[in-house]
Amino acid sequence: MAAPNVIPMADIMLVLLIIMMVVTPMLQKGVQVDMASAKNWENMPNADKDDAIIVAVSHDGHYYLGNQDIALDQITSTVKDRIANRLDKEVYVRSDERAKYGDVKKVVDAVRDAGVDNLGLLTLKDETGPTQPPPPVPGGVNPGTP
Amino acid sequence: MGMAVGHHGTSMSEPNIVPLIDVLLVLIIIFMAITPTTPTGMDTLVPQPPPKKQQPQPLINKTVVVVVSADGKVMINQTPTSWNDLGPQLADIFKIRADKTAFVKGDDDAEFTYVARAIDIMRGSGITNVGLITAKMEAGQ
Repeated sequence: MAAPNVIPMADIMLVLLIIMMVVTPMLQKGVQVDMASAKNWENMPNADKDDAIIVAVSHDGHYYLGNQDIALDQITSTVKDRIANRLDKEVYVRSDERAKYGDVKKVVDAVRDAGVDNLGLLTLKDETGPTQPPPPVPGGVNPGTP
Repeated sequence: MGMAVGHHGTSMSEPNIVPLIDVLLVLIIIFMAITPTTPTGMDTLVPQPPPKKQQPQPLINKTVVVVVSADGKVMINQTPTSWNDLGPQLADIFKIRADKTAFVKGDDDAEFTYVARAIDIMRGSGITNVGLITAKMEAGQ
Protein backbone atom coordinates (compact mmCIF):
# COMPACT_ATOMS: atom_id res chain seq x y z
CA MET A 1 0.00 0.00 0.00
CA ALA A 2 2.31 2.69 -1.24
CA ALA A 3 0.84 6.18 -1.05
CA PRO A 4 1.15 7.93 -4.43
CA ASN A 5 3.62 10.77 -4.41
CA VAL A 6 1.49 13.84 -5.14
CA ILE A 7 4.18 16.43 -4.55
CA PRO A 8 5.42 16.56 -8.19
CA MET A 9 1.85 16.84 -9.40
CA ALA A 10 1.20 19.65 -6.99
CA ASP A 11 4.35 21.37 -8.28
CA ILE A 12 3.14 21.16 -11.84
CA MET A 13 -0.34 22.34 -10.96
CA LEU A 14 1.03 25.32 -9.09
CA VAL A 15 3.24 26.28 -12.00
CA LEU A 16 0.30 25.93 -14.38
CA LEU A 17 -1.82 28.09 -12.13
CA ILE A 18 0.81 30.81 -12.00
CA ILE A 19 1.31 30.74 -15.77
CA MET A 20 -2.40 30.94 -16.39
CA MET A 21 -2.67 33.91 -14.06
CA VAL A 22 0.06 35.67 -15.98
CA VAL A 23 -1.23 34.78 -19.43
CA THR A 24 -4.94 35.41 -19.03
CA PRO A 25 -4.77 39.22 -19.13
CA MET A 26 -2.62 39.02 -22.24
CA LEU A 27 -5.13 36.88 -24.05
CA GLN A 28 -7.92 39.35 -23.49
CA LYS A 29 -6.23 42.00 -25.54
CA GLY A 30 -8.81 42.98 -28.09
CA VAL A 31 -11.86 41.08 -29.11
CA GLN A 32 -11.86 37.79 -30.92
CA VAL A 33 -12.02 38.22 -34.68
CA ASP A 34 -10.96 35.88 -37.45
CA MET A 35 -8.54 38.03 -39.35
CA ALA A 36 -7.87 37.55 -43.01
CA SER A 37 -4.46 36.18 -43.85
CA ALA A 38 -2.01 37.84 -46.16
CA LYS A 39 1.15 36.68 -47.86
CA ASN A 40 2.69 40.11 -48.18
CA TRP A 41 2.45 41.04 -44.53
CA GLU A 42 4.84 43.14 -42.57
CA ASN A 43 5.56 43.19 -38.89
CA MET A 44 3.63 45.76 -36.95
CA PRO A 45 5.27 45.73 -33.55
CA ASN A 46 3.65 49.02 -32.63
CA ALA A 47 0.24 47.38 -32.72
CA ASP A 48 1.34 45.33 -29.72
CA LYS A 49 2.06 48.36 -27.57
CA ASP A 50 -0.28 49.22 -24.75
CA ASP A 51 -1.28 52.54 -26.24
CA ALA A 52 -1.89 51.26 -29.76
CA ILE A 53 -5.22 52.28 -31.19
CA ILE A 54 -6.85 49.20 -32.61
CA VAL A 55 -10.34 49.32 -34.01
CA ALA A 56 -11.86 45.91 -34.45
CA VAL A 57 -14.71 45.16 -36.80
CA SER A 58 -16.63 42.00 -36.04
CA HIS A 59 -18.34 39.97 -38.72
CA ASP A 60 -21.74 41.20 -37.62
CA GLY A 61 -20.74 44.82 -37.99
CA HIS A 62 -19.95 45.77 -34.41
CA TYR A 63 -17.04 48.04 -33.67
CA TYR A 64 -14.63 47.75 -30.81
CA LEU A 65 -11.90 50.09 -29.73
CA GLY A 66 -9.40 47.89 -27.95
CA ASN A 67 -11.82 45.50 -26.32
CA GLN A 68 -14.55 47.97 -25.69
CA ASP A 69 -17.68 48.22 -27.70
CA ILE A 70 -17.86 51.58 -29.46
CA ALA A 71 -20.45 53.27 -31.61
CA LEU A 72 -19.42 54.39 -35.06
CA ASP A 73 -20.02 58.06 -34.33
CA GLN A 74 -17.80 57.87 -31.24
CA ILE A 75 -14.77 56.58 -33.10
CA THR A 76 -13.71 59.88 -34.65
CA SER A 77 -13.72 61.87 -31.41
CA THR A 78 -12.16 59.11 -29.33
CA VAL A 79 -9.38 58.47 -31.81
CA LYS A 80 -8.77 62.20 -32.16
CA ASP A 81 -8.36 62.49 -28.39
CA ARG A 82 -6.01 59.60 -28.21
CA ILE A 83 -3.69 60.62 -31.03
CA ALA A 84 -3.63 64.28 -30.01
CA ASN A 85 -0.21 64.13 -28.35
CA ARG A 86 1.36 61.53 -30.51
CA LEU A 87 3.93 61.58 -33.22
CA ASP A 88 2.97 58.37 -34.94
CA LYS A 89 -0.63 58.82 -35.88
CA GLU A 90 -1.16 55.28 -36.95
CA VAL A 91 -4.37 53.44 -36.28
CA TYR A 92 -4.84 49.73 -36.72
CA VAL A 93 -7.92 47.99 -38.00
CA ARG A 94 -8.54 44.39 -37.05
CA SER A 95 -11.33 43.27 -39.25
CA ASP A 96 -13.00 39.94 -39.36
CA GLU A 97 -12.53 38.40 -42.77
CA ARG A 98 -16.27 37.91 -43.08
CA ALA A 99 -17.07 41.51 -42.21
CA LYS A 100 -18.70 43.56 -44.90
CA TYR A 101 -16.26 45.93 -46.48
CA GLY A 102 -18.88 48.64 -46.12
CA ASP A 103 -18.50 48.41 -42.33
CA VAL A 104 -14.74 48.57 -42.65
CA LYS A 105 -15.04 51.58 -44.93
CA LYS A 106 -17.08 53.40 -42.32
CA VAL A 107 -14.32 52.86 -39.81
CA VAL A 108 -11.73 54.04 -42.31
CA ASP A 109 -13.78 57.17 -42.90
CA ALA A 110 -14.22 57.80 -39.19
CA VAL A 111 -10.53 57.35 -38.55
CA ARG A 112 -9.65 59.51 -41.52
CA ASP A 113 -11.84 62.28 -40.12
CA ALA A 114 -9.77 62.13 -36.97
CA GLY A 115 -6.74 63.14 -39.01
CA VAL A 116 -5.12 59.76 -39.45
CA ASP A 117 -3.65 58.96 -42.81
CA ASN A 118 -1.74 55.83 -42.03
CA LEU A 119 -3.83 52.80 -41.45
CA GLY A 120 -2.59 49.33 -40.64
CA LEU A 121 -4.84 46.50 -41.63
CA LEU A 122 -3.94 43.72 -39.25
CA THR A 123 -3.84 40.30 -40.83
CA LEU A 124 -2.50 36.88 -40.07
CA LYS A 125 0.65 35.57 -41.64
CA ASP A 126 0.12 33.29 -44.56
CA GLU A 127 3.44 31.62 -45.13
CA THR A 128 2.35 28.92 -47.49
CA GLY A 129 2.80 28.72 -51.22
CA PRO A 130 4.02 31.28 -53.73
CA THR A 131 4.12 35.02 -53.31
CA GLN A 132 0.99 35.46 -55.36
CA PRO A 133 -1.94 34.45 -53.22
CA PRO A 134 -4.54 32.24 -54.81
CA PRO A 135 -8.06 33.53 -55.20
CA PRO A 136 -10.08 33.34 -52.01
CA VAL A 137 -12.61 30.57 -51.84
CA PRO A 138 -14.81 31.11 -48.80
CA GLY A 139 -18.09 29.31 -48.90
CA GLY A 140 -17.00 27.19 -51.81
CA VAL A 141 -17.62 29.96 -54.33
CA ASN A 142 -14.59 30.70 -56.38
CA PRO A 143 -14.84 34.22 -57.71
CA GLY A 144 -11.68 33.80 -59.72
CA THR A 145 -13.23 31.52 -62.27
CA PRO A 146 -15.15 33.30 -64.98
CA MET B 1 38.95 1.34 -1.52
CA GLY B 2 37.91 4.53 0.22
CA MET B 3 35.87 5.44 -2.77
CA ALA B 4 33.92 2.25 -2.56
CA VAL B 5 33.11 2.87 1.09
CA GLY B 6 31.93 6.44 0.39
CA HIS B 7 29.67 5.20 -2.35
CA HIS B 8 28.06 2.67 -0.13
CA GLY B 9 25.81 3.95 2.63
CA THR B 10 26.33 7.64 3.33
CA SER B 11 23.68 10.30 3.25
CA MET B 12 25.08 11.50 -0.12
CA SER B 13 22.06 10.21 -2.09
CA GLU B 14 21.35 11.38 -5.64
CA PRO B 15 18.87 14.26 -5.81
CA ASN B 16 15.56 13.34 -7.35
CA ILE B 17 15.47 15.47 -10.48
CA VAL B 18 12.37 13.93 -12.04
CA PRO B 19 9.88 16.48 -10.61
CA LEU B 20 12.18 19.26 -11.72
CA ILE B 21 12.21 17.91 -15.25
CA ASP B 22 8.43 17.63 -15.17
CA VAL B 23 8.05 21.25 -14.21
CA LEU B 24 10.56 22.42 -16.79
CA LEU B 25 8.87 20.44 -19.54
CA VAL B 26 5.51 21.97 -18.72
CA LEU B 27 7.12 25.41 -18.74
CA ILE B 28 8.67 24.77 -22.14
CA ILE B 29 5.36 23.59 -23.57
CA ILE B 30 3.52 26.62 -22.21
CA PHE B 31 6.07 29.04 -23.58
CA MET B 32 6.00 27.34 -26.95
CA ALA B 33 2.25 27.73 -27.04
CA ILE B 34 2.31 31.43 -26.27
CA THR B 35 5.25 32.49 -28.39
CA PRO B 36 5.17 36.25 -28.57
CA THR B 37 3.33 36.70 -31.83
CA THR B 38 4.18 40.07 -33.24
CA PRO B 39 1.13 41.50 -34.91
CA THR B 40 1.42 41.54 -38.65
CA GLY B 41 -0.54 43.48 -41.17
CA MET B 42 -0.57 45.56 -44.28
CA ASP B 43 0.10 49.26 -44.29
CA THR B 44 -2.40 51.35 -46.17
CA LEU B 45 -2.95 55.03 -46.71
CA VAL B 46 -6.08 57.10 -46.38
CA PRO B 47 -5.25 60.41 -48.02
CA GLN B 48 -6.60 63.43 -46.22
CA PRO B 49 -8.77 65.84 -48.17
CA PRO B 50 -6.83 68.74 -49.66
CA PRO B 51 -7.12 72.12 -47.93
CA LYS B 52 -10.33 73.92 -48.72
CA LYS B 53 -8.81 76.75 -50.75
CA GLN B 54 -6.85 74.44 -52.95
CA GLN B 55 -8.51 73.33 -56.12
CA PRO B 56 -9.29 69.64 -55.86
CA GLN B 57 -6.75 67.74 -57.85
CA PRO B 58 -8.30 66.01 -60.80
CA LEU B 59 -7.77 62.30 -60.58
CA ILE B 60 -4.93 61.64 -62.93
CA ASN B 61 -6.08 59.25 -65.59
CA LYS B 62 -3.10 57.04 -64.97
CA THR B 63 -4.29 56.26 -61.47
CA VAL B 64 -4.84 52.58 -60.94
CA VAL B 65 -7.87 51.60 -58.92
CA VAL B 66 -8.48 47.98 -58.09
CA VAL B 67 -12.20 47.50 -57.69
CA VAL B 68 -13.65 44.60 -55.72
CA SER B 69 -17.30 44.02 -56.46
CA ALA B 70 -19.96 42.65 -54.15
CA ASP B 71 -19.80 39.17 -55.61
CA GLY B 72 -16.06 38.97 -55.16
CA LYS B 73 -14.99 39.83 -58.70
CA VAL B 74 -12.08 42.10 -59.30
CA MET B 75 -11.42 44.84 -61.84
CA ILE B 76 -8.48 47.08 -62.64
CA ASN B 77 -10.06 50.44 -63.26
CA GLN B 78 -12.92 49.40 -65.58
CA THR B 79 -11.36 46.24 -66.93
CA PRO B 80 -12.58 43.00 -65.41
CA THR B 81 -9.85 40.58 -64.55
CA SER B 82 -9.47 37.42 -62.54
CA TRP B 83 -7.75 36.95 -59.22
CA ASN B 84 -5.02 34.92 -60.83
CA ASP B 85 -4.26 37.57 -63.45
CA LEU B 86 -4.48 40.52 -61.12
CA GLY B 87 -0.96 40.21 -59.80
CA PRO B 88 0.84 39.83 -63.14
CA GLN B 89 -1.23 42.60 -64.72
CA LEU B 90 -0.46 45.00 -61.91
CA ALA B 91 3.19 44.06 -61.98
CA ASP B 92 3.15 44.82 -65.71
CA ILE B 93 1.59 48.22 -65.21
CA PHE B 94 3.90 49.22 -62.39
CA LYS B 95 7.10 47.87 -63.89
CA ILE B 96 7.76 51.13 -65.70
CA ARG B 97 6.29 53.49 -63.14
CA ALA B 98 8.23 55.31 -60.49
CA ASP B 99 5.20 56.11 -58.38
CA LYS B 100 4.12 52.83 -56.89
CA THR B 101 0.75 54.02 -55.73
CA ALA B 102 -2.59 52.41 -56.39
CA PHE B 103 -5.99 52.50 -54.80
CA VAL B 104 -8.50 49.94 -53.68
CA LYS B 105 -12.20 50.43 -53.92
CA GLY B 106 -14.52 47.81 -52.57
CA ASP B 107 -18.24 47.43 -52.76
CA ASP B 108 -20.06 47.83 -49.46
CA ASP B 109 -21.34 44.29 -49.66
CA ALA B 110 -18.03 42.71 -50.52
CA GLU B 111 -16.51 40.56 -47.83
CA PHE B 112 -13.44 42.03 -46.23
CA THR B 113 -11.42 38.97 -47.07
CA TYR B 114 -11.64 39.79 -50.80
CA VAL B 115 -10.44 43.31 -50.24
CA ALA B 116 -7.64 42.07 -48.02
CA ARG B 117 -6.70 39.63 -50.75
CA ALA B 118 -6.67 42.40 -53.33
CA ILE B 119 -4.41 44.53 -51.15
CA ASP B 120 -2.22 41.51 -50.55
CA ILE B 121 -1.84 40.91 -54.28
CA MET B 122 -1.17 44.59 -54.91
CA ARG B 123 1.59 44.61 -52.33
CA GLY B 124 2.96 41.46 -53.87
CA SER B 125 3.19 43.05 -57.29
CA GLY B 126 5.37 45.92 -56.21
CA ILE B 127 2.88 48.56 -55.13
CA THR B 128 4.23 50.13 -51.99
CA ASN B 129 1.50 52.67 -51.35
CA VAL B 130 -1.96 51.22 -51.24
CA GLY B 131 -4.67 53.79 -50.73
CA LEU B 132 -8.17 53.02 -49.57
CA ILE B 133 -10.99 54.79 -51.33
CA THR B 134 -13.91 55.40 -49.02
CA ALA B 135 -17.34 56.86 -49.46
CA LYS B 136 -16.37 60.26 -48.09
CA MET B 137 -13.28 60.37 -50.23
CA GLU B 138 -15.35 59.77 -53.33
CA ALA B 139 -17.65 62.58 -52.26
CA GLY B 140 -14.59 64.80 -52.15
CA GLN B 141 -14.73 65.57 -48.43
